[in-house]
Formats: sequence, structure tokens, C-alpha cells
Amino acid sequence: MTPTYMNIMLAFTISLLGMLTYRSHLVASLLCLEGMMMSLFIMTTLIASNMHFPLINIMPIILLVFAACETAVGLALLISISNTYGLDYVHNLNLLQC
Amino acid sequence: MAYILFTLSVLLVMGFVGFSSKPSPIYGGLALTVSGVVGCVIVLNCGGGYMGLMMFLVYLGGMMVVFGYTTAMAIEEYPETWGSGLEVLGGLLVGLMMEVMLVLWVLSLNEAVVVVVGFSDTGDWVIFEGEGSGLIRGDSIGAGALYDYGRWLVVVAGWTLFVGVYVVIEIVRGN
Repeated sequence: MTPTYMNIMLAFTISLLGMLTYRSHLVASLLCLEGMMMSLFIMTTLIASNMHFPLINIMPIILLVFAACETAVGLALLISISNTYGLDYVHNLNLLQC
Repeated sequence: MAYILFTLSVLLVMGFVGFSSKPSPIYGGLALTVSGVVGCVIVLNCGGGYMGLMMFLVYLGGMMVVFGYTTAMAIEEYPETWGSGLEVLGGLLVGLMMEVMLVLWVLSLNEAVVVVVGFSDTGDWVIFEGEGSGLIRGDSIGAGALYDYGRWLVVVAGWTLFVGVYVVIEIVRGN
């Protein structure tokens, strides 16, 4: 496994760990989700360029489209949380009380 | 340099550690933007000009701007940066130490004693531009094939984006 591929997969794993651990803000986890999407984009683009297989380039473009949709919905939820509670602190989300 | 790609990927990991250690989100957005720039340069180094610039435009220019405005709405008065608390600084240092150990391990793989002469397995990342004048770029052709073989996919993605706008409006409406 080439070191550059290893680094990009490591970047994905670091973002995944960052998304799964909450500190105080919710938008920090959304940022880590964006990082995951970006590392996947870079990885598939590099594979498409290095295997000289241009048709794979369709996948990063469509990934970016659906990541944009996901970001929009995530930020809309953040805005509605921020309208209700003032800030997007995670310990405010206690309706389930568990 | 033949090993610029490895260096850029190390910088990418360090940028990712910068926002995964969860400082205040405005600093996380800054680290994500810097990581995006480094990632775009990685893509450009492998001959993907179209894909790199598309990432700049759509990702950094579109989504990060929206993130910046939204974070400005939902931020506290004294945002915590990387040096203002033990958790964030500890996470950052652990991530950087892990990356440094990875670099040293990669350097030690080639039975070379000197640090400088250690990158023999990154030789296949050097771009051999022997295919003529380069008028037909592979990534542009691949992206153009999206509108040929993937006609229905374009329609579905466009409809998804359109419905997504209505979903966002309904969520934000509240009440």
C-alpha cells in the first residue's frame, strides 16, 4: 500500500473518530463529516488518475453532489436547534432523557 | 521533487487532525479550508486539473462559505482555540505524534540508514507526461462522460438537489 494512500485513508479514519466523539458543539461533528467526504473525493480522484481510468471520475462528482445535499440538511437541523436553544450545545439535546 | 506527494499527504493528515481535535467550530472551519487547499494541490499533482478546481469551487467556495456563515450564527462569545484547553491540545499533539511516527516508519522501510534517501516506493507517483501534447485531459473526459453514460444519474442528482432545497426550507420553518 503506497504511503500516500495510507495517509489519505488515515485522514478519513481521523475524521471518522472526530465525528463520533462529541465535545460541546454539534457543528464540529458536521465539520468532521465534511472532512470524511473530502478525503473520499481525493482518494477516488487519485485512483482515477493513477489507474488511467477516466470513467471513475464520475464517482467523486456525484459524491460531492450528495455531500452538498447532506451538508444542507445538517446545517438546517443545526439552525433549527440554534433557534430553539440559542446555541448548538450537545447537552441541550436531552428530550429523550437518556 | 519526486516525493512532494507524500509530503502533501502528510500535511493533509495534519490539517485533518487540526479540526478533528474539536476546537471551536470557527477554527475547525479554518483547518478544513486549509486541508481542502492541500487536497486540491494533491489532486493537481496527479494531473487532475478539472477535479481539483471543481473541488475548490463547489467544496471550498460553496460549502465552506455556508459553514462559515452558519457557524457565525451559532457561536459563543469566547471560542476556544487549539492552545486554550488541555483536551484540544492533547488531541492535536497525539495526532501529530502519530503522523510523525508513520513518516518515520515509512522512511525505515527501505533499509536506508540516511533519512534523505528513503523514498524509493513513491517513484510510481511521478507523472510521466509522454502521451503527446496533453490536449485531452483524462479527468475532463471522465466528467464529460457523466452526461453521456450517466444521463439518468444527472437527472436524479439534479432532482435530489431541487427537493433538498424544499426539505431545508421545511426544516428551518420550525413551528
